[in-house]
Amino acid sequence: MLLEILLLAIPIIANVGFFNTKLLKALSLASSSLELIISSLLYFEIPVKGIFFIDNITIYFLLIVSSIYLLSVVYSLKYIEAEETRGIVSEKLYYVLLNFFVASMIFSTIINDYGLMWVGVELTTVASALLITTEYSEISLEAAWRYIIIVSAGVTIALFSIILIYYEYHTLTVTSILSSQPKDSLIIKLAVALALIGFGTKVGVFPMYTWLPDAHSESPSPISALFSASLLPVAMYVLYRVYEIYPLTDLFVALPTLSIITASIILFKQWHIKRMFAYSTIENMNLALIGLATGQVFGAVILLLAHAFGKAAAFYSSGVIIKTFNEKKMDEINGLYRMRITSSSLLLSSMAVTGTPPFGTFVGEFLILKTLVQSGFIIEFTLLVIFLALIFISINYNVSRMIFSRPKYDRSPKEPRLMSLVSLISSVVSLGIGIILIIWGVIG
Amino acid sequence: MVNAQLLELISASIIVSALYIQGQAYFKPTIYAQAIQSALISVLAFYLGFALNLIDYVILGVTIVVLRSFIITYFLFRGLKAKPGIRESTRGVASELVVNLAFFFLAVFILYYFVLGRIGLTTEAGTATLTIFSFILFFQGLFLIVTRRSTIAQIIGFIEEENSIVLFGILTIPIPFLIEVSIFLDVLGLVVITSLLTLQKLEHTRLEELMG
Repeated sequence: MLLEILLLAIPIIANVGFFNTKLLKALSLASSSLELIISSLLYFEIPVKGIFFIDNITIYFLLIVSSIYLLSVVYSLKYIEAEETRGIVSEKLYYVLLNFFVASMIFSTIINDYGLMWVGVELTTVASALLITTEYSEISLEAAWRYIIIVSAGVTIALFSIILIYYEYHTLTVTSILSSQPKDSLIIKLAVALALIGFGTKVGVFPMYTWLPDAHSESPSPISALFSASLLPVAMYVLYRVYEIYPLTDLFVALPTLSIITASIILFKQWHIKRMFAYSTIENMNLALIGLATGQVFGAVILLLAHAFGKAAAFYSSGVIIKTFNEKKMDEINGLYRMRITSSSLLLSSMAVTGTPPFGTFVGEFLILKTLVQSGFIIEFTLLVIFLALIFISINYNVSRMIFSRPKYDRSPKEPRLMSLVSLISSVVSLGIGIILIIWGVIG
Repeated sequence: MVNAQLLELISASIIVSALYIQGQAYFKPTIYAQAIQSALISVLAFYLGFALNLIDYVILGVTIVVLRSFIITYFLFRGLKAKPGIRESTRGVASELVVNLAFFFLAVFILYYFVLGRIGLTTEAGTATLTIFSFILFFQGLFLIVTRRSTIAQIIGFIEEENSIVLFGILTIPIPFLIEVSIFLDVLGLVVITSLLTLQKLEHTRLEELMG
């Protein structure tokens, strides 16, 4: 119980340094390190049941959130310092909101109540909306607004689902509902279907994912990383807990398949480096959701874990590139090979997020697709293989072009070392996960 | 004993307030209409509280009226910088209202015959038909968000959606108070953030950078 309370309280306590920027940065760094340590320690305490609910699935989501929190804080130390924060969000407010954002994600993950999970998911919107406007511009304001209005409208649909669950069970305690006899009622089916649309908005499920590329592309890179690597998996975790009440497998495979198809088509014509990675997030999240729905929980968790580090690295390296070139259009970015650390990180991360062997994402995707075939979803499997290949080609072609094309300028770009190293470490972790799993014979 | 007709009358008045908002381009009356809509929902909660002798409903009614009718209204006006007489730069309010009515009747028809009639949802008044009002309100909110470009109109659309959830909860089963209050505070937080954004950007247009 103490560890769970500490896990929730530490990011909030870190905000006491609000009066001094340096102190706030130091406390945020300490908080993110402690969060990772506590999340790791909780592994030895599972299962936890009571006010909080942590089992062998929850723990991986906690590890994802705390790891990316640490990486993003370290990256922000240079990124936000260099950023001229103007408009609504100052450097201090950035760290305060970041800490609250992480606390709300952890709250959503560990609380043992569907209603409070919903509250947590909505809190993540409240805490993170202004962060999108850190790099103040008309576009970032518009992106923040779209994020608020689309996500809130979607999550409202999820609240219908929560009320219907309460109507049927007269409790919202996750452990009580999941341990009770399954109810084969239309109300529960409706509740689970509404949760897919509602929480699915935040996960990136078609048709409500339109906020995602806007928010990811206009946020500062450490926040894009947190969105893609942590926020979406947290929302998926909540959705999965609702799904467990009454598995509507067909629906939970069909809609994510449609999401991947549409995302891959839009991605094919993408010109903006961060929007490209945002659409890749839609692909990975929906594939993980298919894994959870078909019972391939291990594959889904591996995919989410490896994707978290790979995608964080992709956004971190994009941040370095955008800062260096002051350009977001991929056509205008070239000769990246001269930035050795950043280009290595970008290449590794793009391979990671597209499921290239031997990255962890490959292992996760392989297990999920294998289960999909074994479960008899042949049409979905065929479509997914085609469109995943399209995504693979689109992303790796664009990234290779940016790295290996002839530079337009003779001047060698200066690489911010700390930010580039954080990016590289993150992509290497994704690779390491895959190598370890393959050595263990997971896909054998 | 609950008077179903009275519940229907109040619920219908809530829908009328939503239609008024849909047909209004000026911000000030729209904000007031939102406050009245929330107050009507609290009236419903008070009535059920007294009729069923349940204190939960009464507390819920007080919470709604304080948070939605007063505090949220205050923040919406603050976001507007209290300028009187400003309206949204839109011309199609009347035609949008007509489309909205068509959409509204279609949605009611589908929901009534294909969903509510089948799932066996009962309400405090003993009939599933009452919950249709909450779904209508939800669609009104959604329609307002989709058709309008101003921050104020869109956030009111979102509040209408939240009101529809409250209405649904009141008419079916009130959820635990702690969760109910947390939901209200969440919405309040969003409105506060919205008022900050409203000060920076009152209207929303298509931006090339955010396409695709």
